[in-house]
Amino acid sequence: MPSEEFYVRYYSGHQGRYGHEFIEFELHADGRCRYANNSNYRNDSLIKKEMTVSPLMIKELKRIILDSEVMKEDDHKWPRKSVVGKQELEIRLGNEHISFETAKIGSLVDVQASDDPEGLRVFYYLVEDLRCLVFSLITLHWKVKP
Amino acid sequence: MTDKYEIDLSVRPGDDLQDEEMAETPEVTVKRKGRGFRSGDQRGEDTQGSVFTRLSTTEDTTSGKAMKSVEGWIVLITGVHEEATEDDVNDKFGDFGEIKSIHLNLDRRTGYVKARYPGYALVEYETLSEAQEAINQMNGAKLLDQTLACDFAFIKSNSSSADDRGRRGFTPRNKGNNTGRRTGHSNSPSRH
Repeated sequence: MPSEEFYVRYYSGHQGRYGHEFIEFELHADGRCRYANNSNYRNDSLIKKEMTVSPLMIKELKRIILDSEVMKEDDHKWPRKSVVGKQELEIRLGNEHISFETAKIGSLVDVQASDDPEGLRVFYYLVEDLRCLVFSLITLHWKVKP
Repeated sequence: MTDKYEIDLSVRPGDDLQDEEMAETPEVTVKRKGRGFRSGDQRGEDTQGSVFTRLSTTEDTTSGKAMKSVEGWIVLITGVHEEATEDDVNDKFGDFGEIKSIHLNLDRRTGYVKARYPGYALVEYETLSEAQEAINQMNGAKLLDQTLACDFAFIKSNSSSADDRGRRGFTPRNKGNNTGRRTGHSNSPSRH
């Protein structure tokens, strides 16, 4: 199936007392979906899962991204990554390619307090939506808590 | 702050990637934006020695492209009205078999200025025939006056494309350089 260049990748992590703890996932136009979660707390170990989603799922993912209008935003005024950690959102969609990097955001209070609350809110909600989607896929496909 | 520049040596500290893209290299067709492109530090893949695990595919001839999940078959429903409830979905989709679990992911952000969008649902059936029947009957049907699209959520892997970059890591961050700025800059005399 010919389609425009498309993938999404999200990373959130930090270096801390329990080593490098992170979650990361990516979805590609061909349906490949990869997920990794590393938490050393209480001896939890690295989880790495891969699955393939259908074209309808990819279409829905694109809709979510297009509706969010995140491609119009810019991360230059967003909080910089810190010792608390960072988030990265990379999206390639047709001829546009973003790779946004910012600190971890605890809540909408952090969003409001930033220098670009409108843009950061778009990012915050989209990340919520993407995490929700991937967690649903993992939960249903593998019957594990992501 | 120890920002490193991973691959693209033509970028100097202080360069504004976005303006540069637009102003100096109109032949570059991919517009890139964001601090992540300059970040050279660690992501998850550095600690990932193991491979990504996959569910194994059963050798059956009836499921076609559809892929079975651990406990059943997952159907994706898109175009779900923002005010739909789990009961609404259950009423419609329960006709084809018992729904073992349901995830209704609607856009419910409060205080959001724009009109809200329809969402999607994922429902699990125990058998392939139930899931297939739900898809056959409900793809294109309406729920609360909105047209649905239905299909299996998971399909079997096309392993040739799934393995193209190996099974251990994620896609490198700067994939896309080849079609993007590096090509654009290599023949750009203004850089040096």
